[in-house]
Amino acid sequence: MGAILSIAKTTIGEAIRRRVLLVILLVGVLFLVIAPGLSVLSLRQNYTVLTSFTLGVIQLTSAVIAIVLTVYLLPNEVERRTIYTILSKPVYRWHFLLGKYLGAVGALGMMMLLMSTVLVLVFRIMQQQASMDDVLQLATAPIFFFVQMSLLAAVAMFFSTFVSPIVNFFLSGGVYLVGTLFSPVFQDLSNNQTLPAAVKGAATVIHSIVPNFAQYNIQGGIINQGPELRSIELYYVQIVVYALFYIAAFLIAGMMIFDRKEV
Amino acid sequence: MNRSLMLAGLAVCIAGGAIVNRMNYPLWQENFSPRKDSDLRGLSGDQLLIALAGFREMVAGILWVRADTFFDEGNYDAILPIIRLVTMLDPKQIDVYATGMWHIAYNFTDEQSRSDRRYIPSALALGAEGSKNNDYTYELFFETGWLWYHKIDDDYSNAAKWWEEANKRKDMQTARKNILAMAYLRDGNMTGAIEHYEELWNAASDNFDKNPNDFQARQNVDTLEVNLDNLLVRLAQRGNFAIENGTYDQYDYDTRPPYDVGFTAQVTVEDSKILRVEGTWNVQPVGTRVRIVLRDKDKPNLRPAALKWDQGTSVDLEPEKDMTFMQDGLFVKNQAFFRRIDMARDPTMYPFNSDNYVIEFYYNPRSAPPHIQDRFGFNGEGMTDKNYLNTDVREGQRVIYAQLEISRDELLRQGEWATRTPVKRTIGFIPTGARNTEEVINVPGLRNDVQEGQ
Repeated sequence: MGAILSIAKTTIGEAIRRRVLLVILLVGVLFLVIAPGLSVLSLRQNYTVLTSFTLGVIQLTSAVIAIVLTVYLLPNEVERRTIYTILSKPVYRWHFLLGKYLGAVGALGMMMLLMSTVLVLVFRIMQQQASMDDVLQLATAPIFFFVQMSLLAAVAMFFSTFVSPIVNFFLSGGVYLVGTLFSPVFQDLSNNQTLPAAVKGAATVIHSIVPNFAQYNIQGGIINQGPELRSIELYYVQIVVYALFYIAAFLIAGMMIFDRKEV
Repeated sequence: MNRSLMLAGLAVCIAGGAIVNRMNYPLWQENFSPRKDSDLRGLSGDQLLIALAGFREMVAGILWVRADTFFDEGNYDAILPIIRLVTMLDPKQIDVYATGMWHIAYNFTDEQSRSDRRYIPSALALGAEGSKNNDYTYELFFETGWLWYHKIDDDYSNAAKWWEEANKRKDMQTARKNILAMAYLRDGNMTGAIEHYEELWNAASDNFDKNPNDFQARQNVDTLEVNLDNLLVRLAQRGNFAIENGTYDQYDYDTRPPYDVGFTAQVTVEDSKILRVEGTWNVQPVGTRVRIVLRDKDKPNLRPAALKWDQGTSVDLEPEKDMTFMQDGLFVKNQAFFRRIDMARDPTMYPFNSDNYVIEFYYNPRSAPPHIQDRFGFNGEGMTDKNYLNTDVREGQRVIYAQLEISRDELLRQGEWATRTPVKRTIGFIPTGARNTEEVINVPGLRNDVQEGQ
């Protein structure tokens, strides 16, 4: 456990020194700060535009950071040959992989925390009539974005065990795209009684395998405050459990590949 | 590590994830799905990317603000795609659905301010979609009901159906609940109207008992008492209770004997697509309008003096461009009506692509104001006409309905009609002459004896 934590700690240190990540983070924060300026475009829609834009910025920036951060973790170690130094010590390969992943998630969490803090500040300044409950409700979205991005990081970590960083960037991005946009479509297809059994079966298989990122997009309920959400605590618990299952699955699959890989 | 153990762990994780995913879906769909049917097929690639990037509501909000400019400029066509795009991007924008429905149903007019009613099915479909996507609030159920009640003004069972749904929502405004009784009445459901008023009165009384110093609560009870009182008196005087009891023929109710409306009409095609309509209507002038419809003779989705308004749930913002459907109201003054209808300046609204058309005259007392209904009754039992009383075109109702056939050549004044003036008239047409141009408006009574005394 000590080895895993040491690797994670080192990974966090490396991540926050990487300029490319800092630039992405800076751009994200900058967009959050200028978000109130969009009010000129949003007569009568101030709340909608502000919350939607800021939460969208956090989600998009976090996704880019999660992928860029993770795709280089293993290949960099191999390229710089630092991996030999680590693996020559009493450290298993799965320790290494898990440590790297936890480090990436830790760094990602720190960056998202910074953006969320800016989000809350901007919101408090611009929506002074908003209650504490409104602020807490707004802060719920980045929490589940973090769970979503942790899952995305696991996907990128899995691919990084056998493809190059550039390919991994597009592969992980593609999985994120499919898992966000098409999960509900596949689910609908698998529930559609009028479709042929083969189509329904294929849709069910795809829907079961491809990670469902869409269920973490809970901002709709925050932006449009009208609807009363049903069994929301249960839902939150279930999507966290789902993420844990899938993160574990991708890491185990990654470990199995990495274990046999010649480095 | 033991590979078998890892494989087993992998299988467990995937299976566990898939099970949790299936369990989650109904809750996700109910709480967070932007559209209840997940339908984004109407969006282009770039719009999908925007939606994917999480800026869905922001883009929708900005687009809707942009639509404001188009409203100001009167550029109504440009607003249609924005309405569709905004409702796809953010189906929780109730204002956009409500404004969109109103805009589609009311704002596309010809040069004489007649609505393009070919859009109404789309407005209704938009209302149905909005209600489905926002079923937690009464608003879009109410708005859709209002469209049936006010704009279509001929099929009150649907208005009642939508308002019943609106009344089930917790946020339904107290003052708006009364209107369901009006829809019941116009639908001929007297018992439903009385029971609804009684139910509201009981609730209002309970509320007033709890809040005796609340002016609003007091006002609400008073309003409902007056409404219920008026309704019961009217139903008694019109003989509705007697009809139910089978004693209608024994007493002199306000609706007996049936009043002869003496309907006649003549349509002259003055020029290509320009009609002069005139006729007689022996009814008190204030509040009387006779509906005139000119439509294709043989097209689907048509019914006597109307369209089939409810054409499904698919929102199609392009009306059927081949169809001609003109509807107007003929204002009666001094027991006659006269109107010049110019369709020549709106070729897209009146394409006249068919060979044959019908001109329909229609009067339904259910759409009439209460003082007319006092004489004619809700179902037309107090109204008659020796030529055009009709009990077929609206089931269970006595309405006035006349139909004249006219060809495309006649309407466009072409072919043999280029030099001859087509004139269509009903049986027994009485020329109105100069009577209609008088400044003085005569107000005859509706009772036969008063009419005879003039």
